[in-house]
Amino acid sequence: MPFPILRTPFVVLSEIISILEPNEAVTSSFCSKNFKCLLSNQYRHRKKFVMLEAYMVDFEDDIRVAIAPGMEETKIVLSVVPMSKLNESTNKVVEINGHKAEFSSEVPIFYFEDKKLGSQWIVDYVTGLFNIDVRRLAIGRNSTWAVDWINSRQEKSMNRVLLVEPTNNDSKADEAVDYVLKNARSSDWIGIDEYVSDNYRFNGTLGPVQEVSISEKGYWVTCDNLMNFDAIEIYIGNSRLTISDLNPFLRHWRAGGSPRLEYLEVCLENGTIFENFDDDLEVVRTDEVGTYPVSFGDPVVIHNCYSIQRMDGVKALFICDRYFHFIVQHGKATSWRE
Amino acid sequence: MSSTEQGTSSAAPAEPTTAPESAAAPEVPESFYYVHGKDKVVHKVSAGALQHSALIHGMISNLGYTEEQAKANPFPFENIDGDILQMVVDWCNQHKGKPTPPEDTNLPKQKEKLFDLVLAVNYLEIKELLTYCCKQVAMMVKGKSPEEIREIWMIPTDAEDEAAEKEAKKRAGKEAAGETAAAAGDAK
Repeated sequence: MPFPILRTPFVVLSEIISILEPNEAVTSSFCSKNFKCLLSNQYRHRKKFVMLEAYMVDFEDDIRVAIAPGMEETKIVLSVVPMSKLNESTNKVVEINGHKAEFSSEVPIFYFEDKKLGSQWIVDYVTGLFNIDVRRLAIGRNSTWAVDWINSRQEKSMNRVLLVEPTNNDSKADEAVDYVLKNARSSDWIGIDEYVSDNYRFNGTLGPVQEVSISEKGYWVTCDNLMNFDAIEIYIGNSRLTISDLNPFLRHWRAGGSPRLEYLEVCLENGTIFENFDDDLEVVRTDEVGTYPVSFGDPVVIHNCYSIQRMDGVKALFICDRYFHFIVQHGKATSWRE
Repeated sequence: MSSTEQGTSSAAPAEPTTAPESAAAPEVPESFYYVHGKDKVVHKVSAGALQHSALIHGMISNLGYTEEQAKANPFPFENIDGDILQMVVDWCNQHKGKPTPPEDTNLPKQKEKLFDLVLAVNYLEIKELLTYCCKQVAMMVKGKSPEEIREIWMIPTDAEDEAAEKEAKKRAGKEAAGETAAAAGDAK
């Protein structure tokens, strides 16, 4: 039974639109230009939608835009598939704004010859409809263009940027990693999950950002990098650093470097052979217990720690077993997320 | 003024029936009011049930009617069909003094009446019922394509919108020309 939605009073129409899931709103926006305009005006003027943000994924053949209300579950609203995968005899395709589209699956698909153009088109469409920014980005090594593109199209920085682990590792991604580290503006989180060559080195600075996570491929991270990452939490996986390598970091921190740092975790690929800390660092054993509410899983608790004190009196506790856990005792070491 | 058993329609005057009450009898005698829709069928509804409607609640809050006065002065809602008003009254009675649960099984299900029900509920300012009705409307397009949504919600296509706009302009032009001619005639 049809329901003439456009004949309902404005307050009713407004209520119905506010109940629509983001994907339903996007799909219905393709009904007509006028209806899209109406939806767009609703999203522009209602405070309820302030928390909505766009999440762009452009990774190999996985190109989509999702809408996320804050950190809650994301809802994919549009996707792009290469035109080569379109079979018009089996796929029920319609023409929308001059593009071939399909609405038979759960997520609407737009077919594009040029994946980059397609990716940009769906992002522009969705962010325009909801009047929101792209706040999260997950890209593959061939999509680093998206970093600059997003930086140039919105004033607000993103809050999460991830360089995704590729499905095949035939080639190294030094350039992509370097590009993302140097150019991504992200307020909350930068994650790198890419393979680089053994001789890759990053010579720039990173941040300010709340959290840096170089997942299981952190073998390229040097002690200089640790000192130049302006972050509150740093996670480095599979590092080739040794305890001796970390002495300069401890010295740097003691002298007031990395003042925002609250937690550093380095997974030492080669394990730890007992090594002495440099005498000038005045590292001492302590029976204090260090805890930190890490971003993932249970809080980290360290016992039988070492203690080091900054010139201004702030202390840090750390341990060196397979992991180097370094917890700054700011007296406010509750997570920035809280 | 006519009044009948709930759900039946008659133009003949009759004693209004009391709407279904909850099992527990109120300690203080409850006041009742009377409403009728387009069909003139009068429904007797308790003030408690009518609290759901901000419009009616506002109307009755300062009246201080006696039972006789209330009976003699039913609220006329000539813009609401009788069967729709019946649905609304039933719902208000079922939810007297209770908040609506998120999944309300007592709510009207007739899809063909949904549009009229939405208009009535909006007019009577019954917020919870309106929210539920709007959810029903939103649910109609779940998993549908733009083409299907266009049919379900009766949204004109771009071409239809353009044609309507052209027509409206043409009409406005004609009207303006007519007014000018009339004004010229008056001037003579």
